Amino acid sequence: MISRRHFLSLGLGLAAVLLFPGSRLPHCAAFPQFFFAQIKYRGGEWDPNPEFVEPITEELELRTSIIGLKERRITTIGDPDLFYYPFLYMAGRYEFEPFTFQEREILRRYLTYGGFLFAEDTMGAKGFGFDRAFNREIKEIFPTQELKRLPPDHSVYRSFYLVDNIGGRQRVNPFLEGITIDNWTPVIYSVNDLSGAWARDRFGKWVNECVPGGEAQRSSAFKAGINIIVYSLTSDYKKDLIHHPFIKRRQNL
Amino acid sequence: MSPNPITIAPIFPLWLIILLLALGSAAAIFQYRLIRKRLGHNKALGLSLLRLASISLLISFALNPSRAERREHEVSPALAILVDTSPSMGLLAHAGKGSRLDEAKSLLNGGATPLVKSLGEKYELKVYGFGEALKPIETGDVSRLKAEGKKGDLTDALGKLAGKNSLAVLLSDGNLKWEGNKSTGIPVIAVPLGASDGYKDLLIKRVKIPALAFRGREVTIDVTVKGYGYSGLTLPVILKDGERLLTAKNVRLGESPGEETVSLSFIPEAVGHHDLSVSIPPQFGESLASNNAVNLSLKVVRDKIRILMVTGSPSLNYRFLRTTFKNDPSIDLLSFVILRTPSNILNVPVQEQSLIPFPVETLFSKELKNFDLLIFDNFRPHPYLRAGDPEKVREYVKEGGAFAVIGGPNFLGEGGYAGTPIEEILPVRWVGKEDYRRDSPLRVKLSRAGTAHPITRLSSDERDNLSLWRNMPPLDGVNLMEPKRSGTVLLESTGEISRPILTVGSYGKGRVLVLATDYSWKWYMGMVAAGKGNWPYLRLVERMVRWLTKDSGLDPVQITLPDRAGAVGQEAEFRIRGSEEGTISLSVFNPDGVKIGSRLKPAGKPGEFLGSFLPEKGGTYRMKVETRTGYLEETMAIPGLLDDLDGAPNHERLKTISASTGGKILGRDDDLLKEIQAYAARAQNRFVEERRLPLWAKLYILVPILGLLGLEWYLRRRWGLI
Repeated sequence: MISRRHFLSLGLGLAAVLLFPGSRLPHCAAFPQFFFAQIKYRGGEWDPNPEFVEPITEELELRTSIIGLKERRITTIGDPDLFYYPFLYMAGRYEFEPFTFQEREILRRYLTYGGFLFAEDTMGAKGFGFDRAFNREIKEIFPTQELKRLPPDHSVYRSFYLVDNIGGRQRVNPFLEGITIDNWTPVIYSVNDLSGAWARDRFGKWVNECVPGGEAQRSSAFKAGINIIVYSLTSDYKKDLIHHPFIKRRQNL
Repeated sequence: MSPNPITIAPIFPLWLIILLLALGSAAAIFQYRLIRKRLGHNKALGLSLLRLASISLLISFALNPSRAERREHEVSPALAILVDTSPSMGLLAHAGKGSRLDEAKSLLNGGATPLVKSLGEKYELKVYGFGEALKPIETGDVSRLKAEGKKGDLTDALGKLAGKNSLAVLLSDGNLKWEGNKSTGIPVIAVPLGASDGYKDLLIKRVKIPALAFRGREVTIDVTVKGYGYSGLTLPVILKDGERLLTAKNVRLGESPGEETVSLSFIPEAVGHHDLSVSIPPQFGESLASNNAVNLSLKVVRDKIRILMVTGSPSLNYRFLRTTFKNDPSIDLLSFVILRTPSNILNVPVQEQSLIPFPVETLFSKELKNFDLLIFDNFRPHPYLRAGDPEKVREYVKEGGAFAVIGGPNFLGEGGYAGTPIEEILPVRWVGKEDYRRDSPLRVKLSRAGTAHPITRLSSDERDNLSLWRNMPPLDGVNLMEPKRSGTVLLESTGEISRPILTVGSYGKGRVLVLATDYSWKWYMGMVAAGKGNWPYLRLVERMVRWLTKDSGLDPVQITLPDRAGAVGQEAEFRIRGSEEGTISLSVFNPDGVKIGSRLKPAGKPGEFLGSFLPEKGGTYRMKVETRTGYLEETMAIPGLLDDLDGAPNHERLKTISASTGGKILGRDDDLLKEIQAYAARAQNRFVEERRLPLWAKLYILVPILGLLGLEWYLRRRWGLI
């Protein structure tokens, strides 16, 4: 059964083709340069916000030059295509089963050689549930590293928007955490439930309220989301010297 | 005359001779006893003594006595006349009196009785033209000598004359090589030519230039100017790159003769060989103008490869390229990513966004020339470039810049690059209506050219390389193109219709590359996933950059120039290292661009060759080495013969030479013949001839023996013993 949203999109698209038969959209316009690949793990709850992809991807395409796929790909760590996914996403509320040795090895190689993982504890309970399990796995994958607060001058806070605090469905930490290797942060972690703030139902209504900051907090969550995606595709681009004077001037405004 | 001494040379051992003598004496005594009773004491003694004398004389022949005869002889000394024919001998001797060489000719051949003739009658005379080499000439050919070649080496020349000549007469202006520490035993009588007084000249005496310079960093060249007769003159020292003036500085000359050094600094902007020249303007009255300029060759290398990358949209392709460049210490990357298009809506005030304006005017109007490589990564020119910018890109490449285009959905023909000057420089063109397709994943394979090209030759083993590319992960998106005639396809897609994936070409002096996919990052992650590491991708990117920026280390052929500059008339040699044995050809062009003879021979090691040519004049020579896959050019600056010549007469050197060899320096008014005769008399050669005459071969020695024996026989007969 076709949804109202899909029906409208189809109708507008058909009208555009009829009205502008000569205009030539690049064939590639439909092809994504970005999509979410969400990890389905064992135990816990791997999919706490199933409706987050479309709103954040729409926002991404509206604000940036990135073309995204509005559908996520659900994957496992053992997926042979894992290394081709631009953006691994992992979320949950509760503690999950430990990864196998092989899964940890795959993740270590993926993340060490250029892969990217955004993970979030949607419950926001530090030291419990998903947070405890995720920290456990990170310690196993990167024994010499631990999730640390990303400093205010980290590229993820300025990759598109100049962000000084992180919103979300809840406001547990006003910052992001991550694992940084050399100048690249392959793992970014949030406990604010960003995807909970992005999620919208098929009728266009927000699934969750953002507390305590309301819509401003949601807007901040979207900005953080876009910044994380742009960072995953541009790395520390905004650290280049040419950006410094502009960013400094704007921060002083 | 002393009496001739007699010497012996025994033909038997001495002890045997003494033994024979003792036996002879015993025989004589025995005979005496036998005949004493018959003849009485006196007669027996007489006969025995006669026998003893005969035996002793016979035995003494075994001593081989001989008489030595000594005779003393006198011979005329061998005299060598060296006429300096080095280039400075062609300069004026005195105002209006011809050259210094003419002066030498006049001294030897002038007058009613030419000096050469007079000396030839009295001495064993040899005349040599003394330039780059010592050439014996007939005395009648002195008038044909020319000032040419190079400065002569007197130490070397005297070494060759040693043992054959007892005296050397040198006619020279003193501009010759001399190592005073070697003794040859030949006194040199020096006849100075030319006059130091009134000699006027300006010359570049020395130039100190670094062996290597870095682009963008200041280079300082120290130039020493020497002047004769121009005391107090201020003149400019000019440094040029080809015809382009780099810098100039005034120098004021002090006392005459005197030297002043000036430092000229400039910042080289382009890598490669630069043909520089340092010159001072010729002045009125100068004896020699050609030594007012010096040609130099300066190799400028880049300290870092500067890359400007413009990316149409954030992507993994950008991130992997960026990370690769940033991890390479030899690369300086400036990148711009189009984070939002004009159709994107910004929902925040300016102070909440990090976007910066794309400095298109600064980049394409001013700074482009400062980059070695320009990369358009999935970039659509409109609306970011201005109307004239594509033309600037074309000019940049034409003048030697490198340009790479990475494909993607924004790399479009119509509505993108079609009809722009950039389309002209690309080695590929779009086909059909579709510019970009994301089909089922496409695998790639090496083209025939790709198997040998340095970019795609990731492994030295050909089979390994083919296998490596065959197993590369497939690409999800490619631009649909076809190669132009000027393009060389290195990688192409597999399947029914092969599409070029990696194509290279050149335009003007620059190189161009098109990678028609935005999924090359899969070659990185895919190989990592397969446990083969990331090196193929890293090596590919590195090689693309090095090839585009003409890194000589990547060329299949390399030319290594000698450390010291060559010289006119001397074989200039250089080493060629090529990967393709037997497929190398060499062409050498002189400073006028005319092809000259050259030689190419194996250097011993496989793939190594020695190239050589004979420079016939000063200037910059161009060597072109061609192989199957391309060519490499290198230049070599050969200083001109007179370029470094100080033509002032150097009579002090002649004084030193004559003093250190035990000779003499003659003055202008000295009688040359008389002085040479006086000196030759001292060097008159005498020798003693010694002859040995064996005595036993003489008749007058044989006669006494026969006489003694005959007398003995007569007495025996008379006294009734026979």
